[in-house]
Amino acid sequence: MHPFSTVTLGIFVAGYITARWDLVTRLYELVLFAAEYGVVLRVARGLVVLTVIFITIFVPVALLARRETRLAHNVEFHLKSGTFFRSGPHSPNRIYDLCGHSSMHVLGVANVSSQTEVDPSWVCAKTSASSQYPRIACAKASSVQLILYDRPHPKGMQYISLNPIALALGDKGSFPDDVTSGEDDSEEAKHAAANKENRRKLVEKLKQHSIIKRIPSARDKALPKIVNQVNWSWELEQVLQQNVGRLGPRPKRGLSVSERVVESATTMRNYVLVQLWTLLSVYLFPIVQQAFILVLFFHRVLAEILLIILEFRAKPGYAALKDISATAQQIEIRLQQFCYWPMQYVTLRQRKANWASVTTSHPDYIRFYNSLWLVANDVIIGMAVGSYIIEHKEWVADQIRDLLRVYTVEALQSGISWLMGWPAGLKLNGELAAFLGDLFLWVIDYWSSCIEALSPALPHIIWFVGFSSFAGASMPIAMFSDLLSVLTMHIYSFYLASARIYHWQLTILRSLFHLFRGKKHNVLRNRIDSCDYDLDQLLVGTILFTLLFFLLPTVMVFYLNFAIARMIIISMKAGFDTLLSCLNHFPLFALMLRLKDPSRLPGGIRFELRDTHDYKLSDANDKLFNEPPTSIIYLKSTVQHVACEEGDDVGDVAGGQYGN
Amino acid sequence: MLTTAPRLRIRRPSPTTAEYTVTTLPPQTLPLRLLWLLLLFLRIFLSLITLLVIYARWVQERSSFGAAPTLFSPSSLPPLLSLDRIIFLLDTFQDTPGGKLLARIAASIKLPVLVPVAAAVFYALSLRVHKEESLLVLRGLGVQTSESPTTYLASAATRFIPTEKIQDIFVNEAFRGFEVRYYLVVVVEGEEDVVVVFPGLLPKRKIVETVWRGVRECLYEGRGEDSRVVANEK
Repeated sequence: MHPFSTVTLGIFVAGYITARWDLVTRLYELVLFAAEYGVVLRVARGLVVLTVIFITIFVPVALLARRETRLAHNVEFHLKSGTFFRSGPHSPNRIYDLCGHSSMHVLGVANVSSQTEVDPSWVCAKTSASSQYPRIACAKASSVQLILYDRPHPKGMQYISLNPIALALGDKGSFPDDVTSGEDDSEEAKHAAANKENRRKLVEKLKQHSIIKRIPSARDKALPKIVNQVNWSWELEQVLQQNVGRLGPRPKRGLSVSERVVESATTMRNYVLVQLWTLLSVYLFPIVQQAFILVLFFHRVLAEILLIILEFRAKPGYAALKDISATAQQIEIRLQQFCYWPMQYVTLRQRKANWASVTTSHPDYIRFYNSLWLVANDVIIGMAVGSYIIEHKEWVADQIRDLLRVYTVEALQSGISWLMGWPAGLKLNGELAAFLGDLFLWVIDYWSSCIEALSPALPHIIWFVGFSSFAGASMPIAMFSDLLSVLTMHIYSFYLASARIYHWQLTILRSLFHLFRGKKHNVLRNRIDSCDYDLDQLLVGTILFTLLFFLLPTVMVFYLNFAIARMIIISMKAGFDTLLSCLNHFPLFALMLRLKDPSRLPGGIRFELRDTHDYKLSDANDKLFNEPPTSIIYLKSTVQHVACEEGDDVGDVAGGQYGN
Repeated sequence: MLTTAPRLRIRRPSPTTAEYTVTTLPPQTLPLRLLWLLLLFLRIFLSLITLLVIYARWVQERSSFGAAPTLFSPSSLPPLLSLDRIIFLLDTFQDTPGGKLLARIAASIKLPVLVPVAAAVFYALSLRVHKEESLLVLRGLGVQTSESPTTYLASAATRFIPTEKIQDIFVNEAFRGFEVRYYLVVVVEGEEDVVVVFPGLLPKRKIVETVWRGVRECLYEGRGEDSRVVANEK
């Protein structure tokens, strides 16, 4: 302190004392008074009493605290009798089944001061601020595997699993006409079956290589149970934290006045709430429920009737309506979804009735909300597309008319007339080319007049297509796909006609070629036999063969022309179908989950061995804690790759369409 | 120089857990560490240059569309560690001679060439130099194979096989080109294909044998089951 300020302070104190001298005299009198009336004795007595209290109460408490291991036995008892789950949300029996134990056990103690009182089979864990990992010791263990994991959050639908989550729906008899399609590519199927058989034999052979057949021990089989335990751990921790108060003796104190007031107030509020709730649930709720169920019922009946119509086949082998038309197929997909949703929703609601980690409905949840989201997206895009189409229906109709005229009539006409002259210097048979070309040109003329007759109605059709898109953007796409196939019907029929002619000619040429070589096709044995033909047979056959062979290029050119046109239309329809399957099956929800919370899409587990070097060094500090060799392993969940799985789905749908 | 022939590294903190890593990473010496550091700086430098070229092209494209560039007055600098600050720094770099050179390069290359080339450069810069494949054996749980990815951006591909599913582990031989290679195989129950351990590196027979012995010891020794089963078969 500054000397000057010290002097100032001294002057102030001296001045104060002189000014208030009577205070000093009073203090002196007080001391005298206390000495006269035995205050000192009383203070000493108070000190003695406090010491006694300390010895009788605080020291035993400290002793009790030291004997924490007793507490562990207590915990074991409570766990066996299930005290902790008495007020738990659900019964633990179901989860005990999954985890493979009849009750919970105490495995060990954490952070005890001495190891002597601990049961030798128990694990002693010790955490410290310096080390990231706890240190484990166990008297009976020769080595320790310490597996750490992050608790998955079952309320947030995180979980770990040994197998990747299956987002694609399994084929459970979804294709009743699988048998008929199986006969078509029997050659491929046979090949695949043979391959499979070969592989099976190889696997069998591989099995014989193993000399020792090891019987997996109970510990090896426990892995699925361990995974279940890990999944349950978060909920278990919550329950234990809530009910940890049940451990000690219960407080038996009566309620104070304020607590009574609060209690009666809450009782009153609860009473009113309960009355209101019963009023609602008795009178209003059943009516609403019945109405809703009726609506759902009628909707379901309607959907089923429509589905039956869509799937009606005149004969088992014939094509149903949904196989012919993309619109019908789209309607069928939507109807099936509408029928499937209530059931799916009910199953999803059921998972609330149990522990969140028990359910296996996570893929169902993702699938359900994915389809909901896709339909919502579809409707939103559809509204935009639909309003655009309706507003510009004249323009769209004009465009379609122009496209039809330019590409399906004029381009075809010019192509045929090009083929009727000598195309690209190729000398075709003029007469046959003129005949075929004229035939096709007449039909095109007739068709174009039909289109002209149709064109006034085109804006109305476009309006209808636009209006349908309020049911989703997939609707107008499907309708345009259908419209394309209807408006290019003539190309399809041309293709069929030319392909038929071409096919005939090829077959005739093949059999005549056999004749040319002096052979013939034996139908009964399905092979080529040699055959003695007469001279006139040979002569006529050879002349016919030459004739047809020289006419072949003309027919082939026409066939190629229409085949290419048909190919272009098919590829356009494939484009429409790809768009449709993107709108119907894109795994949007799963992709979003992959970004938002990857642990909701588990793809198996993996382990990571952590370094234990720093750990060994700190060991020298206390020899008391004799720990066996320990390996620290970190359990993690790998992430599912979504895209590849759904890609198959899209390819499947698109591939199925080519068959038409 | 940066890689060696595959060599084995064993980590075995406790008798029941072992990790066998086969790696082409040579032992760390001082010159090697310096070389690594140099390589790292080179990678960062090259990717930065590629980024700057792309940014210059972006600025050119933007100005050709008539969008006005954001202007910052030198008196009011945007706050540090913000997007505006980064854009400001990039824009100031555009005016330096180096920036002008990069802009000229960016302008001279066509866009359909520039984008794939930049993507290829980024991919090449993110490639790992050495390979690492490991086998983690945990008694009572199973074995886990893992392969280091080709780039630094991806994570390791792992495959965990529970003990219950392991039918056998053995060393097999196969022709590869004009040589015979020995490789470690895990046969998984119920699967058609066997799992090859260290599939990319296929280390020498000595390493494979060491790993094989280690794995069998770590997984099965001390269980007392093997001898009994063998006795039964005799």
